[in-house]
Amino acid sequence: MKVTWVLPGEEEVVADVAAGLNLMEAAQNNNVAGIQGECGGSLSCATCHVHVSDAWREKAGEKGEFEEAMLDMADGEVSDGSRLSCQIIMSDDLDGIRLTVLT
Amino acid sequence: MTVWTPTDDGYADLSSHDTFVNGSPHNTFARLRREDPVSWTDWDGGEGFWNVVRHADITELNRNWQVMSSARGIRMEDQTYEEYLARRTFQETDPPEHMKTRMKVGKAFSRPVVADFEDQIRALCQPILDEALEMGTFDATKIIARKLPMMMLGQILGTPDEDLPWLVEKGDALIANTDPDFTDHVLDKMQTDEYRMMPFNSPAGAELFDYAKELLAKKNADGDTSGVLHYILQPDKDGNVMPENEFRNFFCLLVAAGNDTTRYSIAAGLQAMCHQPELLGQMQEGGDIWATAPDEIIRWATPALYFRRTASCDHEIHGKTIRKWDKVLYWWASANRDETMFEDPNRVDLMRSPNRHMSFGQGGPHVCLGMHLARLEVRVLFEEFAKRVKLIEPAGPHKFLRSNFVGGIKELPVTLQAK
Repeated sequence: MKVTWVLPGEEEVVADVAAGLNLMEAAQNNNVAGIQGECGGSLSCATCHVHVSDAWREKAGEKGEFEEAMLDMADGEVSDGSRLSCQIIMSDDLDGIRLTVLT
Repeated sequence: MTVWTPTDDGYADLSSHDTFVNGSPHNTFARLRREDPVSWTDWDGGEGFWNVVRHADITELNRNWQVMSSARGIRMEDQTYEEYLARRTFQETDPPEHMKTRMKVGKAFSRPVVADFEDQIRALCQPILDEALEMGTFDATKIIARKLPMMMLGQILGTPDEDLPWLVEKGDALIANTDPDFTDHVLDKMQTDEYRMMPFNSPAGAELFDYAKELLAKKNADGDTSGVLHYILQPDKDGNVMPENEFRNFFCLLVAAGNDTTRYSIAAGLQAMCHQPELLGQMQEGGDIWATAPDEIIRWATPALYFRRTASCDHEIHGKTIRKWDKVLYWWASANRDETMFEDPNRVDLMRSPNRHMSFGQGGPHVCLGMHLARLEVRVLFEEFAKRVKLIEPAGPHKFLRSNFVGGIKELPVTLQAK
């Protein structure tokens, strides 16, 4: 399944990602710059912030309470499409998802 | 030239603070990584513990907080439940409780908020370097490394400058509580029963607490809302305010942990520059190196040598069974020199990328709250240092702290030449 990260400057990283992996780990595995994921997906940092494009927002799921709070500490502009990518788990529904990396 | 050669025989006692007076026993860690990645240490100061030394194993366990809990203490010393309640900070909590505190304090240490300190840090570096260059030959831990984090602490807490040396002295007594140069109450050498309910088992904790109370009272009276304490004491969205003992312990944590870790990162960076002369030139070329150099210096330093967890259930790893309630030490100091993760791990490579070091406990819920500030302080200090210094040389042997918990060069004689 494909995931595309759009980097600042419009460069793109496209990678195959297996179901069940979270999209922060997927970014780390593909050395996507700007996604550090320093807490390993335990919602203790906000260093995997991405924007999910409108078309994918619903499929990516709802933000949790802690995620919402942690987004307040993230780099880059926080908008309706903001997510911590460690909280999005790859699945068939997300094949083709596009994420914008902000920094 | 290698930066520093460990002298341990490969079988050092990891429970002994004396083992670490010559620096971390890296020959022992290397052997354990090869031969016995999950080893048991008997300890005559209390219950023994497991040592996890490989990068991959620590990564795996660190994210698994359901099995490896922080809520029974984070140092190897045993705690009763009563002591734990009296002394704990959010370091000694598990999710979801841990997240609640982090949400309260995290913003003040987030990267966007911390980034605004850059100019302030740069300004603070100038008088520090002025003094150092004027002295020529001096103890770089005392004159350079100790000062910047101390001054930043003052800015963050909103304390008067004249109080800073006292605060830092107390912070050192707390965290370096096994080194007689830093405390009269050496943890493993005297009966500290009287202090066992105080933060870090130390009377300095009580003094810091009194100080924090007075500081807050004065700030409240003056309507002064500067500094991070005001932030932390705001009620959360449910109207809960941090209880007094938790606030006391958090204040002690800020003074202790937020201070000496950055100090020993800077000291280790300066030590590396003494022994790898090419580093100064690389810094002076500048450019991309500043994106990677701070993390490499912090990997090299590994100021927190280990953190402890406690097994919440039996857990099998590498053919060993860690039993429920066993203590497990994650040796960051070893993970950061793991040859399967880092090429040439015993050399400082300022361009190292990616650099998956674990000095901040990355990969788990307890990742360092102050990591963005630490990186910023280290980057700016070395940027300014490289602008003004032509040569740095050792001026005598350096000395490490007596501690298996805090890895630090407490004395670093150097000679500098100005550009």
